This record gives sequence, structure tokens and C-alpha cells, in this order.
Amino acid sequence: MFFDLTDEQRALAETVRDVLADRCDLTAVRAVFEDTDGDGHPRELWRTIGDQGWLSVCVPVEYGGLGLGLLDAQVIARAFGAGVVPGPWASTVLAGEAVRRFGSSEQAAAVLGPLGAGELVATVALRGPGGGFGRTGIAVRASPDGRLHGMASGVEYAAVAGLLVVAALEPGPAADTRSAAGRRTADQAGVAGVGVDAVVADRVGLYLVEPSAAGVRVAPQSGFDATTRLAAVTFEGAPGRRLPGSDDAALTDLLRRGAALAAADLVGIAREALRRTVAYDIARVQFGRPVGSFQALAHHLADLHVAVTMAEHAVLFAAHAIDTTEQPDTEQPDTEQPDVVLAVAIAKSKASDTAREVTAAMIQYHGGLGYTWEHDTHFFYKRAKRLATAYGDSGDHLAEIARTAVSPMS
Amino acid sequence: MDLTYPPEVADFRRELRAWLSEQLPAAWAAPGFWATLGEDEAFDLRRGWERRKALAGFGGIDWPVEYGGRGGSATMAAVADAELMHARAPRSVNPLGLTFLAPTVMAVGTPRQKAEILAPMLRNEVIWCQGFSEPESGSDLGSVRTRGERDGDEFVVNGQKVWTTSARRADRMFALVRTDPAAGRHRGLSLLLVDLRSPGVEVRPIRQMSGISEFGEVFFTDVRVPAADCVGGLGNGWATAMLLLSFERGSSAMGQYTDFRRAYDQIVEVARALGRDRDPLVRQSLARRLVELECLRYHALHVLTEVERGRDLGFASSVTKLQWSQTYQDLFDTLDEVLGADVGLDQPLGELGDLDLTALRRESFWSRSVTIWGGSSQIQRSIVAERVLGLPRGS
Repeated sequence: MFFDLTDEQRALAETVRDVLADRCDLTAVRAVFEDTDGDGHPRELWRTIGDQGWLSVCVPVEYGGLGLGLLDAQVIARAFGAGVVPGPWASTVLAGEAVRRFGSSEQAAAVLGPLGAGELVATVALRGPGGGFGRTGIAVRASPDGRLHGMASGVEYAAVAGLLVVAALEPGPAADTRSAAGRRTADQAGVAGVGVDAVVADRVGLYLVEPSAAGVRVAPQSGFDATTRLAAVTFEGAPGRRLPGSDDAALTDLLRRGAALAAADLVGIAREALRRTVAYDIARVQFGRPVGSFQALAHHLADLHVAVTMAEHAVLFAAHAIDTTEQPDTEQPDTEQPDVVLAVAIAKSKASDTAREVTAAMIQYHGGLGYTWEHDTHFFYKRAKRLATAYGDSGDHLAEIARTAVSPMS
Repeated sequence: MDLTYPPEVADFRRELRAWLSEQLPAAWAAPGFWATLGEDEAFDLRRGWERRKALAGFGGIDWPVEYGGRGGSATMAAVADAELMHARAPRSVNPLGLTFLAPTVMAVGTPRQKAEILAPMLRNEVIWCQGFSEPESGSDLGSVRTRGERDGDEFVVNGQKVWTTSARRADRMFALVRTDPAAGRHRGLSLLLVDLRSPGVEVRPIRQMSGISEFGEVFFTDVRVPAADCVGGLGNGWATAMLLLSFERGSSAMGQYTDFRRAYDQIVEVARALGRDRDPLVRQSLARRLVELECLRYHALHVLTEVERGRDLGFASSVTKLQWSQTYQDLFDTLDEVLGADVGLDQPLGELGDLDLTALRRESFWSRSVTIWGGSSQIQRSIVAERVLGLPRGS
């Protein structure tokens, strides 16, 4: 029984924080944040990230990676959140996970080596304009010959990526809705109320697409969280290489990994925002005493500490659940069973709510200063606000929890 | 992360489960069983059950063998808590003695106190209550007024304690008493063990908002306590009390989780039975409660890890108290949302089947007390703010 980071994971966390503090402090973050004409991708930092092995954490050893799991990846994600660090680390790791889990060995060999070494920036394009995370939010269709048509929105760092992992709907093998499999797929698609004859039993496929290929157009989208750059990607007959192991469950798996990494970034933000707020409220004097000595602030900060602590536990447990579900122990020992569906939904919901609350309090308890552009508070607040909705917002995950623990319903 | 239990703990779990399935009367697990009994009858059943459990080797799981315990690990104790809750075994009738006094006596008691107090407590031969709070001394424990004046080999105790859990049924009390009024606020206190059968002791029950009387007031008029029945040294009561309170920590959080999860599952059952599980707001409320409950489970596992590593949790135990008490209390706000317009009825008409709300209702009122006793949430927040976050002391 050991519910904590190992000494090695603690050492990794310390290294990542030290290196980031040295190479990408808040002054450097601000430079990227305010460089609205730039692509938001600090390339010197990227070289360091590649050299440090932070991109190869989940890459199997046979492809030159560290062969670790999400538990180790979330250690890095937390440090990136704490430093509100810009750049495509998370999107690249997640794209790598798609290739590792669902790609052929040829695809893995071609992609994971360069990706782990920092030579390839990658990202995931999983939802269309206005769409949510999940198959109903996809606005790209794949033809049987692998050509993609449609649009993806809010794609992290698509403008600097060398590789996209694109979720597309493709005609299922059971477009014949009279078959049991076809009906089942139609049910899963959540199209109740549509006449059975009208149902096209689509399934999800994940495709590798090079943004430089003909038929791909990348248009940067501006957004308030300039620590992460987004783009819309349009596909007009773009050539895609299908990940052969991909299907609806693969999308779900990928979204879960995305949610766990986003939750880790969020708890990193929350812990750091709380630390900075406490430090400020110890130093700031009003009415002749530090404002942090007033219970109106102190008690709320104490509650936030409890919430952040719980969110940290939840993120650890979710990452552990993903890792152990991928490689279950066949001996069935006496263990605290992780239900991966619940664990990830709990972590993302808790981390999203907590990070939003802490970063809002950070502004409030810095007073007028916290509301200025010059102060760093808004980096934390804006990043938390965006990530809180990434891979499902709190409401989406609460609905998932209710489907699992209360009753299925819709 | 390694959430596997070691083989000896797994073996222990199997052994305990087997014993429980053989020894725990099936009728006791039926919903509403305990509510059908009178308070005295229920107490006697529980007292006898706990004694049998101890005699069978399932008491004092993590106590050293020399004190009559099993010599197991904190993890085994946590597993035992969870299994007992899971099997719906009755709760201990001696929780204050077991949680607080026993580890204090193990740490600072005299050899005679260890022999007299520990093993008999496990067998429920002596039921203990705690005498800290007074009418003018709640959160501000350093202000206790109950006095103990030295008279030869004895103290003569006068004063009043209040909010005393199990006062009516306890045999003895560990009481914080001012033995040197001339010394400073925290310096003149001693922890005395008072026999509640002594002349001059009067116990009056306090009826709680739930309608039952688990608390009481205890009045002392010239009660004589042998000087040898002082734990932790004369005039050292404040340090002893702080040591004692530090034993309320998270290794029991696993049992609490299991207990609260059972209440949660019952609330979900009620929601399904009434068709309220289809209401989106009720669903979201139930989902939020599960988020906090599961966070409590993760936290319990983390705390267990710390305890097994021999780390002193210190002020972080206030984090545990805040999380479990708020989580537990919020469960019953959600129960109100589930019941909707029929919330005011003791037994709403509807499709409840054999679901009995009596126990949940009792818990829902009881839950209002958990953010008060054992250090109110306001005290806990001040501790977290000052001792964990390092914020300056408030005035």
C-alpha cells in the first residue's frame, strides 16, 4: 500500500520545476504571452524539453523512450501548469499516446522516436467548431480511401506541428442498420429519436495527417489564454493514414489520457496560485497587519488548501487507474480497485472546479493589483479557465459519474 | 503508487470476513434494525458484541501484543475498520477510550495505568468518556474551570463538564482539570481519571436535535480521585491533552469512507426508487457528492501511507477532519434534494418499498454535529491557515 509519488517521481518533479524556473520563468512566459504575432512556441525551451527526455516519458524503450506511464507524465504536466509554461508538450505527448496505443508498429517506429527526441511537434484534432469532446463533437469525415473532409477547432499548436492525430467519422462496417451491430453502434451514437432507417452507423477512426499536405489548411485562432496557441484546421480531401487499432473506444481512451494530463496541469496551476496568494497576503499590510491574518481570507485559503490537496490525490489516482487498466495485474491480488471511468471523471471535475476557484481567489486576494495586465495572476486564471473545459468540463464529467454511479440514462 | 495490500493483510481480511459471516447476526444488518431497539438494549448488544470481537482476537488490531492487542499494522487496522463497516457491524461503544485514551496511556502512562486500563478497555469492561468541554470552555480548551484540590493522596474535584458523549453509560472519564489555579492558563492543568460511580458525580442527559441522548452533562461535587490516577504528570495536562487529541487522525478515515459510502449508496437507492435519479440537478448533486467521497478515500489511502512510513501527520490532520466532516454533512443536503417536496414527512409515500428512511434521517441530523465536535471547522481552518499555510495569526 503506497499512495504517493515515489522518490524517483519526486526527484523528476523537482528537476522539471528547477529547469523550467531557470529556462522559462514568468518573465519569459510574459514575453511569449504578449508576442501576439508569434506562434507561441519557445524553441529554445523546446530543445531543452527534448534533451531532458520529457517528451519520451511514455514512449516505449524500444523506440528510445523512457517507457514510463501516465503517472510519470502527470508529474511533468503539473510542473508545466505551475509555471504556466507555453509550448506543445502536452499535445505532443498525447499524440504520441495515440500512436503508441493504436498505431501499427511501422507507424510507431516512424513517429515515436523523433517525437520523443523533440524533433517532431505533434498535436491532436478531436473536435469540430462548437463541438464537445466525444464522437458527437467530431466534424471530420473519412472516406474509405483515407481522404479527410471537414474541420477541427481549438487544435493546440497546429500551426507549428509536424503531425496531426485527427478523429474522423467513417462509414462503419454495419451501415446496414438492421443488423444487431449496426443498431448497437447507432444507440451508442446517442441518436435516439432519429428514424432507424436514417441512421448511418458511423464509427470513429484516428488518422495521422501532415499539416503540410495538400488539402490541409491551418488558420490560427486567437484566444485569451496565450500560454497555449490554438488553430482551426480545415481538411479538403487531405490524405490520412489510419491508426489501425483505432475505433470509438480508442477515442474514449485518448480523451481520458487528455483529461488526466489536463487535470494534472490544473492542479499544478492551483497549487502554485495558492502558494503565490499566501505569500502575497503575508507580505501585504493593511490596517496595520498582514491581510492574511484576517480570517475572512485565511479561512477561505484553508478551504482552498483542502480542495487542492484532494484534487492532487484525485489526479494521482486517475493516472494510476489509467496505467493499471492498460496493464492489469493478472494475479488479482487484494487491491484498492481503480475504476478508470470514475477515477478520470472525478479527477477532471475536481481539478477543473478547484483550479478555477483558486485562480479566481488569487485575483481577489491580490486586490486591484490582481486585476492588472502587469501582474502575473491573469496567466494562471486564463490557463485554468481554458483547461477547465479541455477534454470535458466539470459538468460533462459529473454527468459521466452520474451515468456510472447513479443510473445510465442518457 | 502501489495500491495492493501485502499478503498478510489480505490473509487478515479473509480471516476477519470469515469470522464476521459466522458471528455477526444477519438480522443486525437489516436496514432499520437498530432503530427498532431501545437505546439501552442497543447499547448492551453492542457492548457484548465488541467484547466477543476482542476475545476472538479482532480488537486492538494495531495495538502491541503486550497490551492485549493483535500487534498488526496501521493498514490492518484500517482494513478492519472498513470490513466492519462493510459487514454492517455495530460501531464501538468505547470509541473515546480506544481512539484517545489508549494511545495516550501507551505513550505516557505508568506501568500500573497500562495494566489497569488497556486490556480491560478492549474487552469493554470499562467504558470511557472524555471530559474536556465545559459550559464556558468549548473551542477555548485552555480556559477549563473544573478544579482539583490536592488532599493527601487524593484530589477533590468540583465543577462541570458538558457535551460528554456516552456520559450516561460510561464507567470512567478522562478529564482535564485545573489542579493549580495559581499557575498560568495552560500550566495548571492535569488529566485525571475519574470514576463516575464515585459519590458526588451527577450525570444529566442532553437531548439532541435528533431526539436521542448520546451527550450529557456531568457535575462534580467534592469527588475524590486518587492522585495515582493522573495521566502524563501533574500540571502537565495541557501537553497530555494535545498529545491525546493528536491521536484523532486519519488511519480511521478508511472506515469513515466505507461508512459514508454506505449512506451514499442508500441515498442513491432512494433516488432510484422515487424516480428522482432522472432529474438532472439531482444527478449532478449525487455526482458531486461522489467526487468528494472518493477524494476522501484517496486521502485515506495517502494518510495510511504516511502513518506506515512513521510520519507524524501533525496539523495536516485538520485537512482530514475538514474533508470528511464537510463531505458527510453535504450527503444529507443531497438527500433533501432527492426527497423534494416530501422532505418533511418521516416516511414519504411513494415507491420506497422496504427502504426505511429512519436511520438516514437520524444521520442527517447527527451530521450537523460533526463540524462542531473534535475541533470545530472554524478552529480547523485557523489551524490549516496558520500551521500549514503559514499565514500570520489572526487576532
